[in-house]
Parts: sequence; structure tokens; C-alpha cells
Amino acid sequence: MHFYESTLIDTEEGIQCKVYANSHPDGFVVVKPKYIPTELAEFTKLKRRFILEKCMTRFNLFNSKEVVEENLKILKEKFPYFLYNCDKHNNWFMVVPKEKIKTYHDPQKGVQELMKVPDQDMDPYLKATKGIIGLILQSGIKLEDVGISHSTLLGNYTPGKSDIDLLIFGKDNGWKVIKYMETAEHPLLKWKTKEEWAKYYKDRIVSKQFSEEEYVFNMVRKKDDGFFDGNVFSIFVVEKEDELWYNWEDEHTPLSTVKIRGKVLDDSNSHVRPGYYELTETEIVEGYDNVPIKKLVTWSRPFVLQAKKDDRVEAVGLLEKIKTKDEEYYQVVIGYYDTYTTERGEKEYMKALVD
Amino acid sequence: MHFYESSIITTKDGLHCQVYGNEHPIEGILVKPKYIPTDKIESDGLQYRFISGKKMNRLNLWSDKKKLSKYIEDFKKSYPHYILHSDLHCKDRLFFYVPIDKIERIYYPRHGLKELMSMPFTSLDDYLKNVHEFATFLLGSGLKIKDLGITYSTLMGHYMTNISDINIVVYGKENFWKLMRYLEIVKHPKLAWKTNKQWINFFNRRNRFNIFGNDKFVELMSRKKSEGYFGGPLFVIFGAEKDDETWHRWGTEKYSCHGIVKMQAIVEDDFSSIVRPGCYLVKDSKVIEGDDVKIDKVAFYSRDYCMLAKKDETIEVCGMLEKVEPINGEPYYRVVVGYFDAYISDRREKEYIKVIDNE
Repeated sequence: MHFYESTLIDTEEGIQCKVYANSHPDGFVVVKPKYIPTELAEFTKLKRRFILEKCMTRFNLFNSKEVVEENLKILKEKFPYFLYNCDKHNNWFMVVPKEKIKTYHDPQKGVQELMKVPDQDMDPYLKATKGIIGLILQSGIKLEDVGISHSTLLGNYTPGKSDIDLLIFGKDNGWKVIKYMETAEHPLLKWKTKEEWAKYYKDRIVSKQFSEEEYVFNMVRKKDDGFFDGNVFSIFVVEKEDELWYNWEDEHTPLSTVKIRGKVLDDSNSHVRPGYYELTETEIVEGYDNVPIKKLVTWSRPFVLQAKKDDRVEAVGLLEKIKTKDEEYYQVVIGYYDTYTTERGEKEYMKALVD
Repeated sequence: MHFYESSIITTKDGLHCQVYGNEHPIEGILVKPKYIPTDKIESDGLQYRFISGKKMNRLNLWSDKKKLSKYIEDFKKSYPHYILHSDLHCKDRLFFYVPIDKIERIYYPRHGLKELMSMPFTSLDDYLKNVHEFATFLLGSGLKIKDLGITYSTLMGHYMTNISDINIVVYGKENFWKLMRYLEIVKHPKLAWKTNKQWINFFNRRNRFNIFGNDKFVELMSRKKSEGYFGGPLFVIFGAEKDDETWHRWGTEKYSCHGIVKMQAIVEDDFSSIVRPGCYLVKDSKVIEGDDVKIDKVAFYSRDYCMLAKKDETIEVCGMLEKVEPINGEPYYRVVVGYFDAYISDRREKEYIKVIDNE
């Protein structure tokens, strides 16, 4: 069975996990635990939610390094299987062994079912979900290429607050949708304007690595997050089993944290997680000898669709030497799990440079 | 076998069922299927809901009867393992049950409330904050958290803020009566009772009450303190019997049916009128239509008849006459209102319990 990124699985103990990649090491599924019953473990400085009869901790890694380390320690003590040390990467990931999976929540089946519900029996949130799916279908993809996930699928959404999370199956389908959304018009469809992104930048102080101009430039052209009838929607493109680019058999040798610049040669895998930009004309500005960089890989959603072909980009991430069956090359990776517990996490970014 | 009413059971094939009664056969748990997936059977006579990633029909026993009858027949064919063939009742009686091996998960109202009350208040959304506050308010009656539960959409998490009711379960009949007495006198800025106009609106939407006049309906309903508003949403409080206080034990009696009767009687004991199935012990019965026998008990499966009548009031009942033969004890007669099969026959419109003015 292929486990698509951004889908949900429940473990035998009732831990809800978000699948965090499209490719997985043998026998495991790469995940982030999302909701953990508090009766199983008590964590530090994490929010709680009441879901399906239980008080659940909303597990996340967006916290100070010390808090994340403490929470990972608790997780490891209670559920050692979540931490997977990968020899091929010399790094660790979070996984669920396949035999521990109790339920897989099928996002495609969910959409098929949702679209059959008559409008009069839907609340405004579900109507908006149906509406945005209807709009997306005008890109030419089929309903079976669409999925819903997270609270939209499970039904524990909060109208007016919960995002509508949509999955598009297949890389070509993903591009069709993203290209279509760049020009689509609909009375209920809204994107943040340049002014709104600028305000967002000022209000949140989102990054020290971006000037306001760079931030607005990078964000305003992305069409995978928007508003439909007032609800935030997010489009996640996921790879089918026969189009996976990531190979868990490749050997990764971590070398150094580096700052690089380069030009995007190919962005066709930049809309998935993990995704990558093929680079040319690269230069290591800081951190290592100036070796040529073939790929800029991101595990972090904010850097998905961050640059287009021929864009000049700048990034800070982990330089790795990759040895595959056929070749050796260098790549820079942003957003590995270890960035939540190391100083590299605060340094990493990627941006398309404004001309 | 005892199992608490109002718990929720999801089955391995995706049904959401509410436990229906506190006494159950050993083979499984009596339920009312509440949400049923539409992959095997479907009815446009029933409302649809999107729950757990599935398009579901919501079983409503007051929907179009022809379509409901067809749906129940389809259900029997597609889900035969959820139909209980009771040796204790007439062959026409319809019971839904979940065999133990078909249970996927049980959601316990008591556990749900305990978990909810353990949540940091600030982590709750507005709807759950209100539920938390309401439960805290109810604890002022002297009940403990373990005496209360939450059920239905509040428990399952598919509630809609500003729309969904708050459904509270009270464990133990004494506890329930204690809470009712408390609610009769207590005040709270967020607590409101239905106005006469709201009751009449409710009355007009529920054809099951068409045997009452408006005034009588409002008078009877207004004295119930199991339903009201707290901070906006409607709340409904249900009673669930503990193991040692159920008014009947499954398997200790046999029931034969003797047709529809209309009768009047005086309520001798209303203590068990707060649960489902509930009952009134009656005296001085007088059959108006049907077999002329002495009737000792009026049982009902519809919550609408909970706490409708009080001790010493006279009630008029139309329902199924049954001869009850206990394994240990003397046979007696009872009238039952609201078996599931009543809803797909002309009994749906005929059956009722009403309080009449004593002469």
C-alpha cells in the first residue's frame, strides 16, 4: 500500500499521525504525530484538544529547542518506535512501523462521499469545501484525483476556523491545478494581496532572512493557499507510487550548514514533500568549499513552490553528499526533523531573489 | 446484561449507533442506528450528513413513512446481523442490536466528560467552553463528575457551534431526580427555559404530539426541567439506570401481544419515567378500546414521554397490549408505546401517552 503525504493514520494506541512524505523507508511510514491521548503521555507546553471522547495533546515541533527535546524524550520513552535512526541519512526521522497502523483515513474516498451529500444537508464549511473542489475540477483533473484530509475528512472541523485541506494526486495533476488557480476567478475565491502580505510580514515579523519586498514577492505568487468563502484552503500535491523521486537507499553524508545561491533549472518536483529544485550556476557563499549543488531539497511546506524555473534563489540548509547506485552529487536540504532541535533550524530558509 | 444507555458505538462496517436502553441481551447491545453509511443502502427520505469521511443517512423515525418502511426493509437485508430476533417478544417486534464482534469502538459519555473537564479551559472552542461551564453549573446540584456524561455530537466531536444541542447523561435515577429538583429552583444568567411560544413551535414541528391541545402541551412540557437553553444552545438531560436499579431485566420476562388498546389509569409510581425504556406503574386501569384486562404498567421507548406524568395523575394511553410472564412471579399486563416497528405501521400516529385532567 502506498502512503500519500498529508494523509492521516491512527496507530493501535489511538495516536493520530500525519503522513509526512510520499516515499518511506521499508516497513515504515514517515509521519508527524498530530494528536496523542493525554492518558498515554503528558507533554510540555503543548495545546490540547477534545477529540472523539478524549483529551488529546496537539503534538508539534514548533517550540523552543529545549521544549522540543523534552517532548521528544517523553515520546521516545513511551513510544520508542516513533524515532527512526536512518543509517543511510546519518539522521533521524519520525515514523510508524506499518504493523502499528490501525486505521488509514482514505482522502479520495472521503471526497467521493462528500460530493454525493446534497447541499441542503451541508453546513457552510462543507459547502465551501464542495465549492473549492468544484472550482479545482475546472482545471481538467478528475474527481478521483482529489482528496480531503485532516479535520475536513474526519469531521471534527470548526467552521470559520479550520482550514480546508485538499490533496491533489499526481504531479501532473498538481501542476494543472496550480497553473489553473493562478488565473482562476470565482466570486468566493480570494488571495492575500501584496498589501495584505506586507501587513502580515510587519505584524508577525515572519523572518529575519527576508526583506519585506522579498517576502511579498515570494508569497504573493503562490497559489496553493487561499480563501474560499472566508475559509482558508490549502492544496497539497502528493506523488503517486510510480512517480516518486526520493530514494531511501541513497547514501547521504552530511557535510556542513551552508548558504548557497543558484538558478533553478527545473522546478517540476517543487510542489511535493519532500520536494526539490534542480539547480545550476550554483555558488556556496558560506560554510563549505564551492562544490556544485545539484538539488535543493525541502521537507518544509513553506518552501514548497517557493521558486520557479529560471529564478535565482538563495538558501541556507544542510549540505550533503549523495551517493546513488549511478552517481554522486551534492545537495542542500532544508527542514529535516533534526532542525527542530538544532541551531540549524533557526538559520534555514529559502527565497527566490527579487530581480 | 447491563450497558449504559446513550453511549455511542461505532461498528466495524461504519455505523454510528446510540445505545438504546440499559438492559441488553447477552448476544449484543440494543441500539438505534443513528448514522448509516450510504454505500449499501440509501434513502432520500432521510437527511444526509458527512461524518467520518462518509456520506451517511441519519435515521429519523418521523421521516416519510413509506420511504422509512422501504429503508428499514433494505436495512434488514443489507445488515441482517444488526436485527435481533427476540425469543422473548412477538415475532413482529423490531429491535436493532450490535453483536459484540461487530463493535469497532465504544464512546463512553462519562469518560468523555471526565476528559473534557480535564482540558485547560482556554484550549476549548466556544461550544465546548459552554459545555464545560454547563457541566460545572450542574455540579452545583451536589452530583459528582462521575455521575454525569456527555453524548452524541458533543462526545463524538462533530458538533456544530450554535446549532448542536448539548446532551447530558445522568447516571443513576436518584441522581437524575436530584438534578431535576435542583434545576427547578436554581438560577444562572446563562440558563433559560423554553417559553410557551418556543414549546408551541416545537409542538408544531413534532406530529407525535398532535393528541394534545396547545395549552395542555405547554403546561406539561413547561414543568420538565430536563430541557432548556444554556448560553444559547439547547440542552437535553437524559437519565441512565445503574446496574442495580433497572426496572426490568432482559430475559426474566416473556411478552405476548394482544393488539392495540386505548386505556386510562392513575400513575402510581413515576420513578422510572426518566429513562429509556421508561415506565409508569399504574393502578385503577380502565380499557376504553381493546381487550378488557387489568393493566399494571405503561412502558415507552420514546423520550418524549419521559416525566410526562406525575404520581396520582391520570393518563390516557394508546399502545400495544402485552401479557407479561415473568420467570418468577405472576403474569400481568402492560401497554408499550414506541417499539421501533410502530414507526413503520399505523401505530406511529395512533400511539400516545397523555395526561388528562382528573375528574
